[in-house]
Amino acid sequence: MITPTTNPLNKRKALLLVGSPRGKASSSYALGGFLLRKLETGGMAVAEMTVSEALQSTENQHRMHKAVDASDLVIVTFPLYVDQLPAPLIQTLELIAERRKGRFAASPWAGPLVQKFAVIVQCGFPEARQNQPAIDIMRQFAKESGFEWAGALAMGMGGAVKGKSLEKAGGMVRNVVKALNIAAPGLAAGGDIPEEATALMAKPLMPLWFYRFMANFSMKSLAKKHGARKQARARPYC
Amino acid sequence: MNILILNGGPSGARGGICRMIRETVENESRAKGWNVTAYDLDGMDIKPCRGCFACWLKHPGTCAIKDDEESVHRAMAGSDVQVWITPVTFGGYSPALKKALDRSIPNALPFFIKVHGEVHHPQRYENRRSFVAFGTLASPDAGAERIFHNLVRRNALNLGSVMTESRVLYEGAEKAGLAGLFEELLHAAKEAK
Repeated sequence: MITPTTNPLNKRKALLLVGSPRGKASSSYALGGFLLRKLETGGMAVAEMTVSEALQSTENQHRMHKAVDASDLVIVTFPLYVDQLPAPLIQTLELIAERRKGRFAASPWAGPLVQKFAVIVQCGFPEARQNQPAIDIMRQFAKESGFEWAGALAMGMGGAVKGKSLEKAGGMVRNVVKALNIAAPGLAAGGDIPEEATALMAKPLMPLWFYRFMANFSMKSLAKKHGARKQARARPYC
Repeated sequence: MNILILNGGPSGARGGICRMIRETVENESRAKGWNVTAYDLDGMDIKPCRGCFACWLKHPGTCAIKDDEESVHRAMAGSDVQVWITPVTFGGYSPALKKALDRSIPNALPFFIKVHGEVHHPQRYENRRSFVAFGTLASPDAGAERIFHNLVRRNALNLGSVMTESRVLYEGAEKAGLAGLFEELLHAAKEAK
């Protein structure tokens, strides 16, 4: 459901679309939700919706379209899946694009004159640059659908957030918190994400070798916990 | 040689060009005596990945969701050449193709290794596999095509592909012209093997 958290009267509006299949339990939501709260503090009326909710029924799709139409700023937060967007998010963007293209041709534009579009993407790989194809796709979507691109915040080592709120995630995410704090005022004022925020967001949370070591160790421990350590390299389809 | 064709085009009239590519690849491959497995993904019961990682941590190599994707996993694991066909969607792939790819995570290992200076997951089923991707567009779009080709290169890195090709075809492409193109690509895939 669309969850408006502030009185929308006479305020600029921001909508957060959560593209993670894990919804509000996801690291993507931890990042996007933090930014949304900052935008609210900065005077915007905010609302949020997960992609799985939006795809659940025609009624929910209608609610999503209505919320998108009314927003001055749309933010999409999602995890990298196989080098790009998770499938349900692509489906959602297709719905938005098709509707906007139809509406532009059929009736006059009734929402804000300029609608900004920003992206937060995180991946489990340590290199934030692995998110680039996903950012390119989102930018292309914005272009094809009549949004004005406001920029992207991309982070690697997203697994370290573990779906926890950033306030509880500790000092390890201090650069992420700084990046979101820097991005919020510009976005709230109708501007773009500053380069400083993009650079801070992309900074590794820890040395690469250590992340790799910890990730491999954690995978082995979790498999052991589920009694599957010895089958980790199983090849059931041979 | 085992050829796997994943057609991510929509069913109905809009998917016409994707089906034409699928049929041409299928015919060319069979004419060479290769084994072909082809899926029209849009009509299949494939649910979206829910990101539970049970395929790595609880029952390694198999997905927790039981639907049509299981046969796609099996075919992916045994393939020598994978051919992906998709309408270029904002520069990327269609939801139907992407849903099948998101669910293919069990075919990778959970561990991290370095490949060309970057961290990736190794393949569970190592094979000297080739990878060809065909995108379709109504008309040329340089921006979307650049994104598509880059994306295919990124996917190839994660697939451990030994020969990778990506082409974008436009509505109205001639079937006769396509056959020659596939002949060339399939020859290159065989050489790489």
